[in-house]
Amino acid sequence: MPNVASTSAAAIHILGVRHHGPGSARSVRDALAAIEPSIVLIEGPPDADAMIPFVAHAEMTPPVALLVYRPETPRDSIYYPFAEFSPEWQAMTYALGRGISARFMDLPVAYQLGRDEGDGPPEVETDPTEPTPPRRPVDPLGMLAQAAGFDDGERWWEFVVEWRRDGADLFAEILEAMAEVRLAAPPQDDPRELLREAHMRQTIREARKEGHASIAVICGAWHAPALAETAWPPARDDSNLLKGLPKTKVAATWVPWTYGRLSRDSGYGAGIASPGWYDHLWTAPDHVVERWLTRVARLLREERLDASSASVIEAVRLADALATMRGRPLADLSDLDEAVRTVLCFGEETPMRLIRRKLVVGERLGRVPEETPSVPLQQDLQRLQKRLRLAPDPAQTTKVLDLREPTDLERSRLLHRLDLLGVAWGRVAHVSGKGTFKEAWQLQWVPELSVSLIEASLWGATVEDAATARAADRGGREEDLPELTALLDRAILADLPAAVSAIMARVESLAAVAADVTQLMDALPPLANLLRYGSVRKTDASLVGHAASGMVARVCVGLPLACGSLDDAAASAMFESIVRADSAIRIMDDASGLSSWHAALARLADSDTAHGLIAGRAARILLDSRELDEAEASRLMGLAVSTASEPTRAAAWVEGFLRGGGEVLYHDDALFGLFDSWLAGLPADAFPGLLPMLRRTFSTFEPPLRRNLGEKASRSSSAGSRSPLKTNSIVDIDAERAATVLPLVARLLGLGGGMES
Amino acid sequence: MSRARSGAIAPQTVSNDDGADAASAVLRRHAEEQFAEELEALAKDDSRPRPPRWRLSPWAVTTYLLGGTLADGTPITPKYIGNRRLMEVAVATLATDRALLLLGVPGTAKSWVSEHIAAAIASDSTMLVQGTAGTSEEAIRYGWNYALLLAEGPSAKALVPSPMMRAMKEGKIARVEELTRIPADVQDTLITILSEKTLPIPELNGEVQAAKGFNLIATANNRDRGVNELSSALKRRFNTVVLPTPETAEEEVEIVRLRVESMGRALAIPSEPPGLEEIRRVVTVFRELRDGQTSDGKVKVKQPTGTMSTAEAISVVNQGLSLAAHFGDGVMRSADMASGLIGAVVKDPVQDRVVWLEYLETVVKERDGWKDLYRACREVV
Ligand SMILES: Nc1ncnc2c1ncn2[C@@H]1O[C@H](COP(=O)(O)OP(=O)(O)O)[C@@H](O)[C@H]1O
Ligand SMILES: [Mg+2]
Repeated sequence: MPNVASTSAAAIHILGVRHHGPGSARSVRDALAAIEPSIVLIEGPPDADAMIPFVAHAEMTPPVALLVYRPETPRDSIYYPFAEFSPEWQAMTYALGRGISARFMDLPVAYQLGRDEGDGPPEVETDPTEPTPPRRPVDPLGMLAQAAGFDDGERWWEFVVEWRRDGADLFAEILEAMAEVRLAAPPQDDPRELLREAHMRQTIREARKEGHASIAVICGAWHAPALAETAWPPARDDSNLLKGLPKTKVAATWVPWTYGRLSRDSGYGAGIASPGWYDHLWTAPDHVVERWLTRVARLLREERLDASSASVIEAVRLADALATMRGRPLADLSDLDEAVRTVLCFGEETPMRLIRRKLVVGERLGRVPEETPSVPLQQDLQRLQKRLRLAPDPAQTTKVLDLREPTDLERSRLLHRLDLLGVAWGRVAHVSGKGTFKEAWQLQWVPELSVSLIEASLWGATVEDAATARAADRGGREEDLPELTALLDRAILADLPAAVSAIMARVESLAAVAADVTQLMDALPPLANLLRYGSVRKTDASLVGHAASGMVARVCVGLPLACGSLDDAAASAMFESIVRADSAIRIMDDASGLSSWHAALARLADSDTAHGLIAGRAARILLDSRELDEAEASRLMGLAVSTASEPTRAAAWVEGFLRGGGEVLYHDDALFGLFDSWLAGLPADAFPGLLPMLRRTFSTFEPPLRRNLGEKASRSSSAGSRSPLKTNSIVDIDAERAATVLPLVARLLGLGGGMES
Repeated sequence: MSRARSGAIAPQTVSNDDGADAASAVLRRHAEEQFAEELEALAKDDSRPRPPRWRLSPWAVTTYLLGGTLADGTPITPKYIGNRRLMEVAVATLATDRALLLLGVPGTAKSWVSEHIAAAIASDSTMLVQGTAGTSEEAIRYGWNYALLLAEGPSAKALVPSPMMRAMKEGKIARVEELTRIPADVQDTLITILSEKTLPIPELNGEVQAAKGFNLIATANNRDRGVNELSSALKRRFNTVVLPTPETAEEEVEIVRLRVESMGRALAIPSEPPGLEEIRRVVTVFRELRDGQTSDGKVKVKQPTGTMSTAEAISVVNQGLSLAAHFGDGVMRSADMASGLIGAVVKDPVQDRVVWLEYLETVVKERDGWKDLYRACREVV
């Protein structure tokens, strides 16, 4: 038992740890094996003592969290997450394996949630999982680290604790060191901290009273000195402090957790930045650096990036050299990151982000046994299902909601919220015609949904909170603007104002740096829908309006340049984006946005460097919205199809102008004439090449229109009355030659063979 | 003529050993000469292990680059201002015998760092191959003295070594500037050198084997997209360090100030050191045009076609200083900076002029205390 700080003959062993530190976990495991205590006391919520046995359950897979909450208001809750490499987890595992008792000793959550209780309005939204930071030195370890010549407290801790595999007298040293830090720190008067430590001591006293001869205490290093028996105040002081505290009823259960969530604040205070790396430190039996870099290389290869074993060798060498230069016996994560960036990623940032997400943080999702008590989220859903009379049915049913009915509106919100949570109970069958108030859902409750619900419970204790947290989280990480506005759409449908403003902020910041105009344009339609139908949903649209007009402004500035040198494929994608953006901007009801949009289109229509397809469509949109009159449209078409322009560009222009709607051609004689004479004047060798493009264009017209156009073509040619070409008549028309192509034109227009002129 | 055509001849360095006068007479001294005292002091102070043939230990090289004060009180001026870790990675790369590729937009001190590292490690920064579209294989390997070649046939005497070959023989650091400008097939020559550490000479039936201490630092511009992308085979033989544009305005002001001061000394410009305020204005203009928005993030500005690098900011201030010295009273004012600013911004006479005018009207004109700069700039536009 030499490794441990025993404070008296009564054998109380204080093991001061770093929460979630794999090094601490390892030392705790070794120390416990050496001590062989008869009871293990752990810094954690005593309200959840009954949950400890689940740790040994075969289906229990960390990361998981203890959730302690008030059953009446489940959003009052605290999470205590654990990974396999958490010292607390290892202590529980040890105790359960030996069949000895394990108990939590922190101040019960029942007291903590019971405080500042009033009859006033509920408190302003605060994240209940984020405990108010205790008033202790921000970085007690930093002080020690500096004394040891390290500039970074974290790194110092890694060396002294994490990297220390012998563990000799380690916990005694930590106790001593922390005692000095606490002496140097200002007096500790945070009432909550005082209560917590008093309760921990009381729990130890109790264990001793029960006759335990050897007691192991696992606590955060900071608390160690306060729990050492030599420093105990009289028992009466502690019990007085704890007497008469208001108490509420709480419940506890286990929920699955993720490594991503482990990096956030929780009941254990600050989260850890690199759970995946800690996992590696915990699981790698040896050669931590080599194994880590090999994993990096394998990940890169999975993504089809070059990463040979030769490069891994060089990365190992560089990491070691960096550690040496920085005076460290072993490379740490920052050395490894730099070695990876320099050797394996050729200095690029993008693969580094992938490595960060998949390896450094990690994507592991925990699992809890089925027998664990149901989570508040499940209970909340059951309440909502009862209230909204929306019972889960394993058979598929269809439900049409009338959004003017308050209950139906709430049902719709619930379904959208669940959808955001990945609990796909319903699918919108189709959003019925614009402007209606109906929404049809296809509902089916399959058993897997219960699992999804438990998984979703890590996001919050009520459907609303969880959906908000999940949507905001996704929004914060989304890099793709159109995806993001689609998410925004869903968040608004789900009526989650907090998520909406978080996503909106992200939209604005992404839009501000978006270099790609198509991205911006493709992000507009969901925003436009929101603006238009927001009122039906009773959602506030002013936020959206602001962002949308900013994006329109950016689109208008960037569009002409973005259309500068497009090949056919890019032009046709751009065509689609412009068409979609146009209808979005038209329904946005933003006059100044619309006029800059038209101005941008006018530049495109007038430009002879823009791809024909784009210039043609720009002209067409302007014509349709009466920004151009027929004469001006004729002028533009005349320019585009003049002999001076290349036949392929002219054909592209025509396609852009006409695709999806040829009525203008029928109704406007001038345009028709221009088109007709262009076709007729095409050089014979150019014509076959253009045929597919023309056919494609005309196939987008309705059959009756095609017929009418054919008739018009034959009429005008038989009457010899081609529309006069006044201003732009640069084509010297040979009527006879022109007439020879007419049968072909007729066939092109889908008019069969009976139309000979 | 044959020598010129071979393209493999580095200009003969004049030895400056015999006195500071000769040294200060050249326009721009090599780093190892200009900072000879610092290097000397560093070497004396340096008890850490050195890789074979290194004049300094990796720690001392890093100190040389980043500046500091030695145990005996000798101050070491900072050469690179920015993230210390980048320099550590660069030096550690060379210490592990890997070639180093410095990547970045123009004016991020790639060549500067490369020169100083070579000076600190090998006391010689002159083994330099300048990469251009016309860089030939001979420039990287070796050429011939054709007169001798014709007279005597291939012989070691007739062979004209490239800087690369000399660096290999002498165990020094070779430098290749603007690697991506070099045609792809010529780039490939480097692969053998880096992987085999030998340079075959088939004509003499021999080879040059690199002596210990030989290594390569290359620089490349990562804006020159598609010029001559590095082949992945070549890329894999380098450790790549990306040098960023200065993170903060203060850092950039510091870079400009230090460089201008030391260049002013070197050029013996008889003017006062420029006021920090003037430098800050120049740096602000550069950063705002580079970032496409004002420093308070409130106003979007159009970006000019040029890179607006720190290096150009340095020369704007330098030019302003010499204008002030030669045509003014020696104190740099806004009028002295105006023409330099225009020269740096307006690279394309049409597009950039619009950008510059817009910037003047919407940003410079409105800013408190910038009226003089606005007027000075409007006068020269
Ligand atoms: N971070 C920096 N620290 C010190 N000097 C810098 C820095 N960035 C730019 N410079 C200065 O800019 C000038 C040009 O740098 P240079 O090495 O020619 O750029 P590059 O080769 O990247 O195009 C040098 O005089 C250098 O001193
Ligand atoms: Mg350069």
